[in-house]
Amino acid sequence: MRVYLAVLLVCMSASPTWAHHSFAAEFDGAKPVRLIGTITRIEWTNPHSYFYLDVTDSKGKVTNWACESGNPGALSRRGWKKGDIKYGDKLIVDGYLAKDGSKFIDARRVTLPDGRVVYGGSAGDGGPGDTGSNSK
Amino acid sequence: MNSLRWSLVALGLLATQWAVAAEKRDPDLLPEEVSFLFGEEPTTAPEPAPRTADGHPDLSGFWKGSRATTPVGNIGKDLPGFKLPLTPAGQAALQHNLTKTIDPEALCIIGGIPRHSASALPFEIVQNSNRVVFLYIYTYFRSIPVDGRKHSQDPDPTFFGDKVGWWEGDTFVIDSVGFKGAPIWIDENANPQSDAMHATERWTRPDASHLHLDLTVDDPKFYTKKFTYSRTWLLGKPGEELKEYSCSENNVDRAHLGPGPGPIRKDGTRGYDVPPLPAVPPSPEDYEKAGK
Repeated sequence: MRVYLAVLLVCMSASPTWAHHSFAAEFDGAKPVRLIGTITRIEWTNPHSYFYLDVTDSKGKVTNWACESGNPGALSRRGWKKGDIKYGDKLIVDGYLAKDGSKFIDARRVTLPDGRVVYGGSAGDGGPGDTGSNSK
Repeated sequence: MNSLRWSLVALGLLATQWAVAAEKRDPDLLPEEVSFLFGEEPTTAPEPAPRTADGHPDLSGFWKGSRATTPVGNIGKDLPGFKLPLTPAGQAALQHNLTKTIDPEALCIIGGIPRHSASALPFEIVQNSNRVVFLYIYTYFRSIPVDGRKHSQDPDPTFFGDKVGWWEGDTFVIDSVGFKGAPIWIDENANPQSDAMHATERWTRPDASHLHLDLTVDDPKFYTKKFTYSRTWLLGKPGEELKEYSCSENNVDRAHLGPGPGPIRKDGTRGYDVPPLPAVPPSPEDYEKAGK
C-alpha cells in the first residue's frame, strides 16, 4: 500500500504537459456529450493519450468512439495512471464532440472504474472551463 | 496487521478526499500540475546570479513561466489593447492564418522564435564560453554561437533563423535573421511573421531566481514599426528537467484539426467564455434525435 502511494506521488510530480493545439481547432464547445462504454483500446502516447470505447445505444447498435485526453505525464499528475484502466472496463466520459462530425471527442471529465473523477483535458487549450491562465 | 488496517483506512480517506477535490476542481487543473507548469517566486531574498569562469552571468538552468505574467502566447502582450501594428500585408497574413492555416505546432512543425518566447512553457539553457544552447519542451533546440562571427551572407531560411550572440556587459544579445516565410505563427494567437523579420533578444539574469528577456521584433513586411515584448522566467526546482516528447508519435488529431486558434478573449488569451461541462451532458443519441 505504501509502495502504491509512493508510486502515485512520484507520478504526480513527473513529466510535462501543455496544449498541443487549441480546443477550438478540433472540438465544438456547444456540443457537450456523455459517453458510457467499454474500453476497446488504449494509447498512452504523445502528443495526446487516446482510449476507445464501444458505446451501445438504446437499440443495441454498437459504435466505437475515440476519446482524446492529455498526454501521459499530465494524466499521471492528476492521479490517473496507465494501470487504472484496462480493456473491458466500463467508463463514463464527459466531453465535447469533434467539429468534423467524426466519432471523436475531447475527454474532459472521466469517471474511472474505481469512481475517481479525473480532468482529462489538455492544460491551457482554451476549452470551456479552461482558465486561460495556463502556459499556452 | 493493525498497521495494514490503518493504511487501508488512510488510503480510503485519501481516495474519498481526492475524488471530492477532483470534482470541485473539475475542469481546472490540480495544484500539482500548475506547479509543474509555472515557477514560483522565491520566499527569501534571491541569491546573486552565478557567473561562469570567464566572468559572464551564467544563464544555465531550467526556466519556467510565471502565472502572474499574462497573457501567455500573445506577442502583443505589452502593447495597448494587445494591438499589433500590422501592415495591409500583415493583416492579410493574419487572416490567412486564422482561416486557412492549421496551427503548425499541432502538425509537429517547429515553432521557432519568437513563438517559443511568447509562450510561458518551460525551457532549459546550457551555456559554455562559446555557445549558449536553448532546449525547448517540444524537443527542439537552438544553439547560439558566441565567437564573434557575423551572420551568413545567404542563410538558409529556418524556423529559429540565422543567429549570432555576444555579451554587452551582463546582457546576452542574440541577433537573428534568415527566417522562413509565411504561413508561420509568431505566437499562439496566429499572428504572422515574414521572412524579413529581424529579432533582437536581450537576455539578463538579474539574480539567481530570475531570467529576463527584452525582445525587439522588426518585420517591415508585416508590421509598420518595430515592437517590443518582455517576459521574466523563474528558476525551476532542483531536479526538474525536460522530458522526452515525440510530437508525431501518435498525432491522431491532425486529421481532425481546423484552421486558426479559435476565439481570442478580451484578456488576450485563447478560449471560450462559456460555462464548463454540464453535470450530465446529452448522449450521442440525444443529438441524433435532435437532428444535430
